[in-house]
Amino acid sequence: MSPKTQRALILGLIFAGVLIAGFFGLRAVFALREFRRHAPPPLEVAFTEQIIETDVELIRDWMTIPYIARTYHIHPKILFDALGISPSGNEEKSLLQLNDEFFPDAPEIVIELIKAVIQANQPAPTAVVPDAPAPPATP
Amino acid sequence: MSDFLLTQIINYGAPILGIIVFIGALGAPFPGTLIVIAVGAFAKQGLLPWHTTGLVALACVVLGDNLSYAMGYYAREPVLRRFQNSERWTKAEEAFNRWGGMAVVWTRFLITGIAVPVNLIAGTSNFGIRRFFFYDLLGEAVWIFGYGGLGYLFGAQWEVVSDVLSNISGLSLGLVLLGIGIWLGIRLIKTIGAKKTEGFEA
Repeated sequence: MSPKTQRALILGLIFAGVLIAGFFGLRAVFALREFRRHAPPPLEVAFTEQIIETDVELIRDWMTIPYIARTYHIHPKILFDALGISPSGNEEKSLLQLNDEFFPDAPEIVIELIKAVIQANQPAPTAVVPDAPAPPATP
Repeated sequence: MSDFLLTQIINYGAPILGIIVFIGALGAPFPGTLIVIAVGAFAKQGLLPWHTTGLVALACVVLGDNLSYAMGYYAREPVLRRFQNSERWTKAEEAFNRWGGMAVVWTRFLITGIAVPVNLIAGTSNFGIRRFFFYDLLGEAVWIFGYGGLGYLFGAQWEVVSDVLSNISGLSLGLVLLGIGIWLGIRLIKTIGAKKTEGFEA
């Protein structure tokens, strides 16, 4: 390999390295900022308890109705009924596939309907009852 | 692509995950890290059993890696003919035999973008299959159970973790390329300097 080719190769490597590191480094900084806002649950909870999801903003169009039903603890029939679709033959289809097949003229209608139905079926938040005041100590 | 694969995993579970990581190990550009983290979250939701899913994925990815190692191994003869057992090739082989274990481990879970080239180089450069298998298993176990564990820990918020790790992986690849470029540059400058000194003395 001639010194000229070697020099070009080295410069190419350095340039590509700076470019890739800069691009992903910047993205990593933004991703880390976002990460800080999402602290994981305490370890004893994360590894032992089954957490019931309530945040409908985490629903994505690759998810299927049975998967969403399981995650949000809602019967899949409620979701299929809300969409007016039969579960038979549609259980393995993603929300995007269902949207394209049954509502081709209304993009994202399926995901929005599912979010609305889940929110409507979530149990109302219960009021936190404060502890009863301790009785005065008797002598 | 990742959306389609995620839908298939929630429908068919561990077998489809095994096929995905196997094909990924052979060089298909699948978002492996994202999928492993997502599967950890699915295991948390009780959709998949974490132990069998983890073991199936580990077996399949190690099989895929060893197959790409074998491709490199059987390409050894033509490569040797091309380089005609040159001193430079021997040095490269020695260097890989010394540092190859580290390269194999780190490229399994951190600098995943160059995992397949490392497998091929390992096979071509006479890096022992047993050593390769050991380091590969170690690195892939960190990838499957470490990254999957993070998905399990974060549950439904796994996308945030995946975003961070994918970008750190890209950043690592950039830093490695930059490091190699600087190292080669320093070597070239030294060689030119040595030649100049020789010429001056002569």
